[in-house]
Amino acid sequence: MDTLLSGQLLFAALVSGSLYALVALGLNLVYGTLRLLNIAHGDLVMIGAYTAFWAISLLAIPPVVSLVIAAALCALLGWAVYAGLFRRMLARPDLAKRVEANSLILFYGISVILQNLAALAFTSTSRGYQYLDTVITWQCVSMTGNRLLSLGVAAAVCFGTLLFLRFHLFGWSLRAVIQRREAAQVVGVNLNRVQMLTICAGFAVAGVAGVLVSMTEQITPFMGFPFTIVAFVVIIIGGLGNIGAGVLAGFCLGLVETYGIALTSPGYRSILIYGLFVGVLLLRPEGIFTKAVRS
Amino acid sequence: MTVPMLSVTGLRAAYGPVQVLFDVDFDVAAGSVTTLIGANGAGKTTIMKSVAGLVSATGGTIRFEGRDITRTASHDRVDAGLCLIPEGRLVFPGMTVEQNLRLGAIAPRARAGHSGMLQEVFRRFPRLEERRAQQAGLMSGGEQQMLALGRGLMARPRLILMDEPTLGLAPVMVKQVFETIEELRTAGFTILLAEQNARVALELADRAYLLENGRVALSGPGSDLLGSPEVRRAYLGM
Repeated sequence: MDTLLSGQLLFAALVSGSLYALVALGLNLVYGTLRLLNIAHGDLVMIGAYTAFWAISLLAIPPVVSLVIAAALCALLGWAVYAGLFRRMLARPDLAKRVEANSLILFYGISVILQNLAALAFTSTSRGYQYLDTVITWQCVSMTGNRLLSLGVAAAVCFGTLLFLRFHLFGWSLRAVIQRREAAQVVGVNLNRVQMLTICAGFAVAGVAGVLVSMTEQITPFMGFPFTIVAFVVIIIGGLGNIGAGVLAGFCLGLVETYGIALTSPGYRSILIYGLFVGVLLLRPEGIFTKAVRS
Repeated sequence: MTVPMLSVTGLRAAYGPVQVLFDVDFDVAAGSVTTLIGANGAGKTTIMKSVAGLVSATGGTIRFEGRDITRTASHDRVDAGLCLIPEGRLVFPGMTVEQNLRLGAIAPRARAGHSGMLQEVFRRFPRLEERRAQQAGLMSGGEQQMLALGRGLMARPRLILMDEPTLGLAPVMVKQVFETIEELRTAGFTILLAEQNARVALELADRAYLLENGRVALSGPGSDLLGSPEVRRAYLGM
């Protein structure tokens, strides 16, 4: 019982929850505005992780700086994918209708290419580095500096994005596109611009998550897939395209996972995550935090 | 002769392999109400969407105030002063009335004066001011139609395209919508109206076009069409 109430467990839950929220945020932005099922999302996390690893081991650039580099790199990749693959598909109504299904296949291909390019370039040896791993103790809670940094950055990016969506006019047009694409065009939102910037932002967020992950976990070319799965679980729990609910769902998943494991055993991790997932699909397929507003 | 505000010549449009519009010609004179009538599937909505830039024309030209806008992106058309009040209202359901209106002024030209324009919209539709913090998706059909219209006005349009504004509304609201159209004409707006309620639409119209299977079957002053035996039999049930 004592362990359950300890700040230690809450900290662990918040660290993993914030990371889930962050990874899912990028996926949700891209799905919400472009209806693209980015099955390669986790591989962007992998790219972010390698960016941080090579930056610190070859150039002695600390991960806090790599956050920016990885974000820029992934945003560039997002732009290339949008301009090269999807811009024309989304502009043609007959192709746009099928883009959701087609994007799944296209991104699967991108995922295979990214993983194997990484394996070719970097070998499949798992990598890692040490950064801010001294233990800080505060009010009986022991934490490593890198986990604290991870929580801080992930939470800041998530809540910063939510504030941006709420208060900035561009954020409003993004929400307009998510809610009603055609109506957004009717009022004069520049759809092409919103879509392009959103895919860049969604990819960049995944890159940032990758840098955070790399500070505490092993880096391999195939590390991305579990993140893709977790991100899909989170956005389905929260409600597809519902950005705020997705962030909340990410934190919830972290809490359920951490406390569930503390109550049972680590062997139950998958059962907890997928149990929650299946439960939500059965009971509230529109997502637990989605208000049923229809017009 | 003055240049019409909107001039459409030889307009063709298709959804995939299915052609919907066949060489449609029509003009909208500045300050007038022009009406498109016709049965379901005659092509009224497709014309509206083509003029607004939501459907790309496969042939013909669309000129707005003398400028060729056939290939112009929809957001640039809004900025040029052309605004669609779409069929089915299409308000943003999860946003408040005020946020919906604010988004209506997202076009660069409308952005600066949006708060003044908001007051003007509230003056015209006091109901929207009462409901300013209400979620748009929870409002009645008539209120949503008002909101869609108010949102359109926020863009400071010169030409308003209204696609089936009375669809699914209670009779008392239908009357109010037509009164509003009358008021907007008096206020100097130019209006292109697509409407199934042929009688009222024709009574209102300075000029009217009857569409059949994607072609203009008949055109003339609204009163002429009201008097035409063909229109009376097929669309007015007389």
